Amino acid sequence: MAMIAMIVGIFGGLMRLGISTPTVFSSQVGNHGAFMLSAFFGTVICLERAVALNKPWVYLAPLLSGLGGLAMILQSPIEWPSALFTCSGIILCIASFKIYLQQRVLYTLTLFIGALCWMSGNTLWLLTEYHLLAIPYGIGFLVLTIAGERLELTRFLPPKPKANKIFAFLLSVTLIGIVTSSMRTDAGSVFMGAGLTGLALWLIQFDIARTTIRKSGLTRFVATCLLLGYGWLFIGGLLFMNKALEPGALFRDAALHAILLGFVMSMVIGHAPIIFPAVMRVKIPYSSAFYLPLVTLHVSICLRITGGFLDNVPLRVIGAEGNAIAILLFVAVILYQVKSGYGKA
Amino acid sequence: MNDNLMDELWSCLCNVIDPEAGINVVELGLIYKITVTKYDVHILMTMTSAACPMGDLLINDIEQAISQALPDVTTVNVELTFNPLWDPSMMSETARKHFGW
Repeated sequence: MAMIAMIVGIFGGLMRLGISTPTVFSSQVGNHGAFMLSAFFGTVICLERAVALNKPWVYLAPLLSGLGGLAMILQSPIEWPSALFTCSGIILCIASFKIYLQQRVLYTLTLFIGALCWMSGNTLWLLTEYHLLAIPYGIGFLVLTIAGERLELTRFLPPKPKANKIFAFLLSVTLIGIVTSSMRTDAGSVFMGAGLTGLALWLIQFDIARTTIRKSGLTRFVATCLLLGYGWLFIGGLLFMNKALEPGALFRDAALHAILLGFVMSMVIGHAPIIFPAVMRVKIPYSSAFYLPLVTLHVSICLRITGGFLDNVPLRVIGAEGNAIAILLFVAVILYQVKSGYGKA
Repeated sequence: MNDNLMDELWSCLCNVIDPEAGINVVELGLIYKITVTKYDVHILMTMTSAACPMGDLLINDIEQAISQALPDVTTVNVELTFNPLWDPSMMSETARKHFGW
């Protein structure tokens, strides 16, 4: 379901840029943001949580958000998708809160706050029938979930109590920004941007990726995805500090895609050989071919964002096409690897 | 006989790498206990956190590593526990050194 969401969302995005695509995707032009953020990334992250918790009822979270995506494709009554996404958020909140009760530490709290963002954003969308307000919450959900997981892994390193305090501070700044954005987009954007920029620097400084990049194979690949992603999170954060969240802002496209493609998608690519086997019950052996979509993704984001800076539409379009090609390449590499995994078994 | 098998099992698990850390599951302290009854093997292990989605992957890798190295072992049961919770002090000296402790 997430896969269908991704493909429909990509075509909707391309169409918005005036690139000719099959007309069947035309219904998603206006919805591209809602679709990619909630139906695709939201479902993927919910699925990842469900796999971790391995309880049947938690799988309702990705199922409901997948159905939300489906409702968008089928152009159901306007409140259906947001209602389904809200229910997904409620399930995820309960699941995350249970983990927090089991282990009352900063990273489980971060995951719970991430889930709260998911639920709140979707609720706002349901109440206002306006997805724009839910975007900062969606970003919060994705970034905080990833940052929380990375914080957990820093436990492999010698403890740095100060680092945890800085993390908590940056988390608060980001949250203040997200909540403020519902009332004042400009001020919210500045705070959220500052928080995200800080979190990027924190991750670059304290994540195990700087140690694990010296390893080989899959471990090095994951570390490469992470470090490249942190770079984009930093840039996206800076752009949001420049009020890029405001509708019609010049750098809005650049900021959103730096974070959602540069950071979140990079993370999805890096962890696909780890998470997808558990989700799809198939083996995905790692191969260096995974670098192909990764490099394509990052080069095309560079083009797209440079195009945004120079206000050069053709460059932005080439970048966006490259983004789509990168994601399709990623799907192709996964399918190829699944096949070769079966060959060996 | 059992002692031998036990050694072989431990060294087998040393080949199962946690892809995120780049270090094997034994050095990371994720393996709590191995019990052998006749030709059945029971492994009690943990993850660094209950929110970690890597469990299935590692369990599969462990089962595969054992069935390849020790074809006589007919049944491998890997049980995931979070009691006690994993703690960095469970890492081996080698792993700790690797991460700069």
